[in-house]
Amino acid sequence: MERNIKKKGLDVLAGKIDNKLLTNLNSCVRCGLCADSCMFFKALNEPKYIPARKVALVSSVYRRYFTLSGKIAPVLVNAKELDDHAAEEMVDLLFGACTMCGRCVKHCSIGVDIPYVVRKGREMLAAMDMVPDTLQATVDSALTTGNNMGIPEEEFTGTIQWMEEELIDEMGDEKARIPLNEMHAEIFYTLNPREPKFFPLSISAMAKIFYAANENWTLSSKFYDVTNYGFFNGNRAEAGKIAGNLYDEIHRLRGKRMVLGECGHGSRANRWDGPNYLGKEYDFDMITAVELISGYIKQGRIRLDKSLNKEVVTIHDPCNLVRNGGLLEEIRHIVSASCDSYTEMAPFGNENFCCGGGGGLLAMSEYNDRRIKVGEIKAEQIRKTGAKVVVTPCHNCVDQLSQLNHTFKLGVKIKTIAELVADALVIRKNN
Amino acid sequence: MKWYIIIALAALAISVAMLLIQLIKLISAGKPKDLSKGSGNISAGVAYSYTKAMSPMEKESAYLHLPTYAAGMIYHAGIFASLLLFLLFISSLFEIPQGISIIAGAILVISGLCGLAILFKRFINAGLRSLSGADDYISNFLTTLAIFATAAFLFFEQAEVLYYMIVSVLLLWIPLGKTRHLLYFFFARYHLGYFFGKRGTWPPKSLK
Repeated sequence: MERNIKKKGLDVLAGKIDNKLLTNLNSCVRCGLCADSCMFFKALNEPKYIPARKVALVSSVYRRYFTLSGKIAPVLVNAKELDDHAAEEMVDLLFGACTMCGRCVKHCSIGVDIPYVVRKGREMLAAMDMVPDTLQATVDSALTTGNNMGIPEEEFTGTIQWMEEELIDEMGDEKARIPLNEMHAEIFYTLNPREPKFFPLSISAMAKIFYAANENWTLSSKFYDVTNYGFFNGNRAEAGKIAGNLYDEIHRLRGKRMVLGECGHGSRANRWDGPNYLGKEYDFDMITAVELISGYIKQGRIRLDKSLNKEVVTIHDPCNLVRNGGLLEEIRHIVSASCDSYTEMAPFGNENFCCGGGGGLLAMSEYNDRRIKVGEIKAEQIRKTGAKVVVTPCHNCVDQLSQLNHTFKLGVKIKTIAELVADALVIRKNN
Repeated sequence: MKWYIIIALAALAISVAMLLIQLIKLISAGKPKDLSKGSGNISAGVAYSYTKAMSPMEKESAYLHLPTYAAGMIYHAGIFASLLLFLLFISSLFEIPQGISIIAGAILVISGLCGLAILFKRFINAGLRSLSGADDYISNFLTTLAIFATAAFLFFEQAEVLYYMIVSVLLLWIPLGKTRHLLYFFFARYHLGYFFGKRGTWPPKSLK
């Protein structure tokens, strides 16, 4: 490995590192008991997928270069060189075999924040220019076009106008709108670009909810992308630029509250990490679509008829919204108000397994086979519920679940929360 | 003062000093700046992290591996008892009555056997072996040996020199090997509680 490349990787661990990282680099005792909590190990059953192994890839390099014992007697203290082999293994395991779902964390005998270390490893690889090309292309697209799918503004505007016409027809109201670039709106709404590209009906579902709630809202025609693959590629500067797009846009439009569309990692990257990427507290309110809809139901701003959703529903909890986002109750509040009956997976909630598409894996086609294989755990969870509809407030999860549905012949419908709610909406005539 | 006690005291001083240096480094490193707006209760999350989240019912690493978990608990209890006894011996505060010595020694033997079982598991389990390096074997072996040495010293006074030598080596190893999780463990639990507490995941909400 070239010295300057190695230096770039090591620089990520050098200098003033905070005590959370220092703690997590020094805490793992390699008991291996995290293995059974990781879907990669469970599905592929190879020791290299044990979460502790992923921690060791980073912590052993830290010990080798930044501790006295690692410099003097590396063999004794499990300290290892950062060489080509180590870097390749890091790419394969930290990018290709960890969705950073965090399930292992709460089950760790010590409490090591394993995804935190994995992200640090990804940062090292990003500094060494070793991010998988497929993932980097997604980030580059967001940086150059404003959205990760590179949808031109005219195409997006056309899709929104088409959805607005449909909404007018469906509501029978000429005033029904999908507003674009409106100033001073109460709500600045964001989307996963998969919606305008592949799932425009989920935009119209949300628009119906806004219509029913008589909300004053807007989309931006340029910066609406809630996703942030900079959260995955380990490049904080790029993650900051992407988060900055939404930050600047809500200020430009003088919106009051940002509502993060149905996207797990996007919600996390904006709500929990965005202020840290940009180095400032946000001066506007920010909530997820889940919290918004739950609020509408609680406040009586929308009325739902459960009987309109007769099929049994189950919930897939996106890791970044539930385990790492605290929205366990809100999702269930909405689902129980929107359908006749729902059933839980086993396990569910904070214990739920990732769908397999997180961590940027959906964007990295080189790991497709592995992604589908680990998704078998989720497929079996779904099958065992007997449900006919799987609801999840995350478009990446929707994508992965749709592929699992097809591959494992589950015969279920995959819906977003907004789609489920829109199907149960009772539209008041005087709206 | 006997030479081996002087060595043990020196080892203790070095060990404590090295752990203190790591503690100061940790504290001075500071927490990562978190500018996001929380939606939960951080204090409650941290409290939960140190208490109920540690319950065997809450962790797959415990309830899916009950024999290992039980062995680990007994092993750790033995380690702490051994360290406590070391401080008692070296400070000569009081003499342990013979009856209690035999009981304590017998309990420590059980704890040491648990340590051996865990070490044996590391040798025979392919997954664990692949994770392991010299540190893992040395840490486990030294700690187990120190527990047995403590038991031996409780049973036989003649084991005194060997006991102090073994404990001295362990004390010197603690800040170097993975045994230093003795210090980092508490910080790990804090950060975990902070993370999940701020986001409203911990303490878990009961679903109505």
